[in-house]
Amino acid sequence: MAHSHSTNIAAARAGRRFKKDYFWAYLFISAPIIGFMIFGFIPICYSVYISFTKFDGFSSPELNGLDNYRLLFEDPLMRKTTANTFYAALGIPIGMAISLGIAIALNQKIAGIHFFRTAFFLPAISSVVALTLLWKWVFNSDFGILNQLLGYVGITGPAWLNEEAWAMPAMIIQGVWGGLGFNMVLYLAALQGVPSTLYEAAEIDGAGVMQKFRFITIPGISPTTFFIVVTSIIGALQDFVRFRIMTGGGPNFSTMTVVYYLFENAFRYMNMGFASAMAWVLGIVIIAA
Amino acid sequence: MGVFEKKKSVWMLLSVGLVAGLLAGCAGGGGGGNAENGGDASNAAGSNSEASDAPAGTDEKVTIKFSGWGEPNEKKLYEDLIKNFESQNPNIKVQYIHIPADYAGKMNTVLAGGNAPDVFYAGDGDVARWIKLGVIKNIQQQVDESGFDMSDMYESAVDRYRYDGMKMGTGDLYALPMDVAGTVLYYNKKLFDEAGVPYPSAETPMTFDELVEVGKKLTKDSNGDGKPDQYGMGPAWWEGFVWGNGGKILSDDRTQFVLNEDKAVEALQFAADMRNVHKISPDARALQAMNDGQMFETGKLAMMIGGRWSVPVFRNLKFDWDVAPIPANGAWSGWSASTGYSVYAKTKYPDQAFKFAAYLAGEEANRIRSEQGLTMPVYKSMANSDVFLTPGTKPENAQVFLKAVETEQAGPWTYVPNNKWWDIINQNLGQMWEGKTTAKDLMEKIKPDVEKALREGNPELFQ
Repeated sequence: MAHSHSTNIAAARAGRRFKKDYFWAYLFISAPIIGFMIFGFIPICYSVYISFTKFDGFSSPELNGLDNYRLLFEDPLMRKTTANTFYAALGIPIGMAISLGIAIALNQKIAGIHFFRTAFFLPAISSVVALTLLWKWVFNSDFGILNQLLGYVGITGPAWLNEEAWAMPAMIIQGVWGGLGFNMVLYLAALQGVPSTLYEAAEIDGAGVMQKFRFITIPGISPTTFFIVVTSIIGALQDFVRFRIMTGGGPNFSTMTVVYYLFENAFRYMNMGFASAMAWVLGIVIIAA
Repeated sequence: MGVFEKKKSVWMLLSVGLVAGLLAGCAGGGGGGNAENGGDASNAAGSNSEASDAPAGTDEKVTIKFSGWGEPNEKKLYEDLIKNFESQNPNIKVQYIHIPADYAGKMNTVLAGGNAPDVFYAGDGDVARWIKLGVIKNIQQQVDESGFDMSDMYESAVDRYRYDGMKMGTGDLYALPMDVAGTVLYYNKKLFDEAGVPYPSAETPMTFDELVEVGKKLTKDSNGDGKPDQYGMGPAWWEGFVWGNGGKILSDDRTQFVLNEDKAVEALQFAADMRNVHKISPDARALQAMNDGQMFETGKLAMMIGGRWSVPVFRNLKFDWDVAPIPANGAWSGWSASTGYSVYAKTKYPDQAFKFAAYLAGEEANRIRSEQGLTMPVYKSMANSDVFLTPGTKPENAQVFLKAVETEQAGPWTYVPNNKWWDIINQNLGQMWEGKTTAKDLMEKIKPDVEKALREGNPELFQ
């Protein structure tokens, strides 16, 4: 009796302590959750409602059913900006290939390796605005370093940012360069995670460099490749700051991405309903992808 | 156990209450329309009662907020103006909020938030949108009742702040003009002398044909690499060319896009031909390397179109320069820029706010602004005096600015609240500047898109 009594007390005490800890745990969790509710979840839910209304951000929203979604699919600019976004995303595979190449090069034991790693990573920690302004000069038609280099090999470079055909390739080049550092670091870590025993075993079996790369390196780093693909696609779908600074979406909307167009609708044309509908379609695409 | 249960339920209750409170708070924000209307009504009631017992009202000390953009010297100027105003009106304190960058973007947020400054700058391109959003106060009644004298102001400066419920340009007044900046043709006298070409007339605009003739004489390729090192004429400000050729951009009721009509197309084509056919103007490629202002300043450009705002900079140039009317086939043409002082629609102190706006737009403030050389006064008599013309300083023909603001109109971006139609035109014009399409074809092609954007963005025009 007495024995069980004392265990009861112990259990009750433990229960009390447990509950007390629970309380504090929830209290601490509540801070970010409340923040998320106020600045995240509730606005997100509200934007669902807004997407079914005509709303200028100032007066009260008026329900207009599926009008925004209907307009979305009829709007030629929506189609064009979506196509532009996918065009811009062509930079992803190019960028990945180059950053893998650099990562492999930087994975060797050569002198000054730390300097090279830093040099390649530098763009990743610099401000997008500063880099974009820098590249605006790189692409300058007469004084830009790019056209100057092309000039040495006898090519007259185009007026990159002013020509419809060349503006997007220019943006892709800049995007690839900007993403190199970060992807390279990820690949570098992944390469170092591939067990060296596998390479040694392959060498004993007489595998060549290409075979080792094809059958050991690539499968070994595939989780990282997957991660980079996913984050790059999300990044590409959200990309717009550099477009706004570098080209203003021009010429002839050739470099206006979906998110840029969304921004214009929301904050220049004060069409929050339409912009919310765009945001939801875009959001669903991102989650689906 | 019961005690714990109780504690737990109290906690649950608290958290539910908290979340419910958040939701309610947000719902309140969302359904703000009603609350705002209520606020409006009480404001109106407040101002009425203030008006009825005026002595009590004027004794009350209030602080109003005022926001604007500007370089450091402009900021300093406004700090001085505020001091003057406060000493003349000891019961009104003005809190100055200086927004140096992204002014319109930040004001959008502040205005949507519902606690905006009582008086604020409104660029002529933003006014229409903000009026339609209901954040700028209709000050017509206050202007009438206070007897604020606008008879000496340039009509072109004042009228762009009128709105009739559909479009800008007519109707009640929504802002008082701070300034008006005419645009003119700047020319480098030294380059004209070198080429032995007589200076452009300060009275009669050059015709398009004359412009080409003069421009060709002033375009030179001195190192023979096929690219001119000196251009005759800067890029066209095509709106002025269109108007100057008898064309229009939108119909007078702002419902139709008429840039595809003959006179307008002719002017647009001329503007494109200046660089592609006559080769007197730099193309996009050359302008990317150095913009027209920089080319002018370094003596690589003989003529360029520019606003009054370039004068303070150009006064530091080593060569002699002057101004002339913008080229046009006939009457003077072009657009002028302006900024206005607006009163917030939901201000708690409409009387004091208007008083401050009226002070800023008044003669004293205009004189102080002009003496600093920043802009041109909005009062004709003052503009026509030494305060603005300042004999002995460049440009010699400063009176060109006077006639310019009298004859020039507000830019097309001031026409209607939603400017998507305007963005579409500008995005598409690139093809024409590059010579890939003719003005006629392009204008016919974009007409449906422009009109659709005009209609969808500004439905009140079409009711």
